[in-house]
Amino acid sequence: MNEKIEKLLKQQKQQMEEPRVDDMDDVIQLVGFIVGEEEFAVPILSIKEIIKPIEYTRVPKTPSYVLGVFNMRGTVLPLVDLKNKFGMPKTKFDDDTRVIVLKDGDEQVGFVIEELSEAIRIKESNIEPAPEGSGKDNLIYGVGKVDDRLITILNVKALLKRDF
Amino acid sequence: MDDMQDILEDFLIEASELTEQLDEDLVELEENPEDKELLNKIFRVAHTIKGSGSFLNFDVLTHLTHHMEDVLNKARHGDLVIDSDIMDVVFESIDLMKGLLEQIKETGSDKGGIDVSECVEKLKNISQGKDVEEKAEEVVTQQEAPQEQAKDEKVQNLDPIAQRMAEETANINTDEMSEEEVEAEIERLLKIRQEEDKKRREQKKKEKGTVAATQPPKLATKSAPTSNATSSANAKNTQALKKKPAAPEQTIRVDVSRLDHLMNLIGELVLGKNRLSKIYDDVEERYEGEQFLEELSNVVSSVSVVTTDLQIAVMKTRMLPVGKVFNKFPRMVRDLSRELKKDIELVISGEETELDKSIVEEIGDPLVHIIRNSCDHGIELPEVRVAAGKPEKGTVNLKAYNEGNNIIIEITDDGKGLDPDELISKSLEKGIISEKEADRLSEKEAFTLIFRPGFSTAKVVTNVSGRGVGMDVVKTNIEKLNGIIDIDSEKGKGTTIKLKIPLTLAIIQSLLVNVQEELYAIPLSSVLETVRITSDEVKYVEGKSVLRLRNEVLPLVHIADIYDVERTYDTGEHAYVVIIGLAEKKLGLIVDELIGQEEIVIKSLGNYIKGIEGIAGATIRGDGRVTLIADVGALMEMSKDASAKAKDAMESLYQTKKKESPQDYKVLIVDDSKTDRTIMKKSLQPLGVSYEEAVNGEEALSKLKDLDADFDAVLIDIEMPRMDGYTLASEIRKFNRYKNLPLIAVTSRASKSDRMRGVEVGMTEYITKPYSQEYLANVVKRNINLA
Repeated sequence: MNEKIEKLLKQQKQQMEEPRVDDMDDVIQLVGFIVGEEEFAVPILSIKEIIKPIEYTRVPKTPSYVLGVFNMRGTVLPLVDLKNKFGMPKTKFDDDTRVIVLKDGDEQVGFVIEELSEAIRIKESNIEPAPEGSGKDNLIYGVGKVDDRLITILNVKALLKRDF
Repeated sequence: MDDMQDILEDFLIEASELTEQLDEDLVELEENPEDKELLNKIFRVAHTIKGSGSFLNFDVLTHLTHHMEDVLNKARHGDLVIDSDIMDVVFESIDLMKGLLEQIKETGSDKGGIDVSECVEKLKNISQGKDVEEKAEEVVTQQEAPQEQAKDEKVQNLDPIAQRMAEETANINTDEMSEEEVEAEIERLLKIRQEEDKKRREQKKKEKGTVAATQPPKLATKSAPTSNATSSANAKNTQALKKKPAAPEQTIRVDVSRLDHLMNLIGELVLGKNRLSKIYDDVEERYEGEQFLEELSNVVSSVSVVTTDLQIAVMKTRMLPVGKVFNKFPRMVRDLSRELKKDIELVISGEETELDKSIVEEIGDPLVHIIRNSCDHGIELPEVRVAAGKPEKGTVNLKAYNEGNNIIIEITDDGKGLDPDELISKSLEKGIISEKEADRLSEKEAFTLIFRPGFSTAKVVTNVSGRGVGMDVVKTNIEKLNGIIDIDSEKGKGTTIKLKIPLTLAIIQSLLVNVQEELYAIPLSSVLETVRITSDEVKYVEGKSVLRLRNEVLPLVHIADIYDVERTYDTGEHAYVVIIGLAEKKLGLIVDELIGQEEIVIKSLGNYIKGIEGIAGATIRGDGRVTLIADVGALMEMSKDASAKAKDAMESLYQTKKKESPQDYKVLIVDDSKTDRTIMKKSLQPLGVSYEEAVNGEEALSKLKDLDADFDAVLIDIEMPRMDGYTLASEIRKFNRYKNLPLIAVTSRASKSDRMRGVEVGMTEYITKPYSQEYLANVVKRNINLA
């Protein structure tokens, strides 16, 4: 029993120390999520909040990926289906579906994602710029290497820009 | 430096407030040149601006106002009779003064830019006009004499005192006196002096009885600063008090942005209130008869009353009397009538009617154009009027009043009126309308032609109008405010233009309508009426649907076509038409249902999706859902191509895909028993058709709801879990596109009542189990018209 506690304490200690090491470099904190079987991430500081899907109202004459508008505590915000925006079929809402509200200045938009994965800390040096010819919209900020996975980091400013 | 800036700002605000009233007063003055009260008022404006202007070193402004003051001062004392020539110069000088103030506001200086010398020269000439000058001089000499006398007296009177003082001071050795004694001595001497003064003052008063009325204050201030000025001021004050016991207005200046913020907060509160009453309704249903309900109801109703009051109170803080805009029109009409050589009187009423600040600002321009139009095109020349048996003087009435949540501004002239035939021929000439259109126009519709861009009936383009822009501006501005224009005219009698404008823009009353499963809010100020129609009341003219309502023919459009709503459910024989009006246009909007009236707060959609055609904004309703607000102006535009699109859609709906081989046909098998499904599949195999399966009504329905679904027949079992066959059939029949889809019931229920029920819900055929495979195949084959 004692051994177990000791091990746990050690682990905690390690966890507490680890970030400090990271902080010295330019570390970016990201929130990762799944859209269409791929993992994406956005900087945690650009996230206003993450909520469970709520009812929305369709807005006519918008592209299909704009699902409509919803009410976030008195503010009317647009709701965008990220999967559909990326050229895949629309997201099927289930228990894992979330809405990430991203902000850039005064602009706020809700994005439907399939599932949250994890919070990620990554050094700036581990982020490769977006591959050449990865779309004219500049939606991709870069590709991050975490462990042995590759995570696409999205450009929030570009995401929040109206493109229709 | 900052202090100066503050003073400058105060000066500008004060000056603009002072000048605002000026034009109206001056026009009134022209009518009653004898009105001393008015003259005094106008004089004070010039005087105040001169005073503050000189303090702030605005030399040009001071120079101008100084000469204005001279002229006005003479007039005020009866030395000068104001005729319209003098008035013109005064108006000119006031315009220059306004110009200077504007320049100061922008550049901080009054130099350069505006040249006042010519006007000053004119003012000088007026104030030194020969007759006037002589009279003035007489007054001056008359005045001078007694004052000279008084002065002499004063000197004489003073002499003994001075002598005495000199003597006494000589006698007294000041060094020997204590301080108190010195003070007492001074007091004594002062008293003597005051006594003398008093006596003289009384004497003066008597003299003043004869000359004061014509005495310019400048002379007064020169010789007798205390006595004369105070007494005349007193007299003036008492006079003013007698006439107008006006209490000082208690106001504070508040930044508009603060009021806007307050309004936003109230908006949130209104939404909260709506939500609260919605929740109360739900709770009431659930806990009917419980004690706490009554208490809750009290709270809810008091909160909603207070919120409404609060909203009205805040709205009122933003309200300005429409008179603020009306003020400038008397001057404008006066100038116009001189320019056009017509005799026109502008009668204003209801200027105290209040409107939201933002609307007051928007409404000025349209009114200028309408009134100009009335003066220029409406009112005839005096000779023509007399020949037509009308009074020589034409009248333009400008009237404002409240009507519900709207304010009505009515501009009526008693001029020649509009001639529909002339309007139509002019429009044809200018290519504004086509021959075809012209034939269909009713008289009232013809009147609205004047709002078309490029339209003008004036034969000559004058300084005043005739360029064909003015009335178009009216239309655009009123549209911006969600207002409605109504125009009525009788040839030879005159024209009335009625503007109906909502009181405020932020919180509005709306009509909620329903189309399929979507809700839209239409600003109630644009809704003229609602009617219930049957489908055969819709008529088609040149491929466009129209509705005949009383003696008008209105274009019709379905809201679903405008907002691309899929028409999944059939809504039955009846439909509701919301007649909306904007500026001078009307449109019938077909909706499925009218939900009701609700107070809504307009919220922006944000940069990401704002500016969607046809959507003015969104609002959050009592249940927390977002409802979109229709942009009536855009609806009018969109309706033009929407009705054409609707027809295409209808046609394509009936144009089903070509089916060649049996495989192109698809049958949906709905049964909860796997065995039964297998039997059915086996029966269908010989036909070669394809099929899909569903294990209950719900699944079948969701398969059918899919837009790509293309079934040619449905085999339905009656007894199923979740949703039985009868319900399924009736649900399917609700879809427009499944009106004629063969529904074949396959069941062991064989009684007559079962069959009857099947027919009622819309079953096409009824097969009782057990059945032979060939029989089923034949029934299906017959129903899907398989060759």
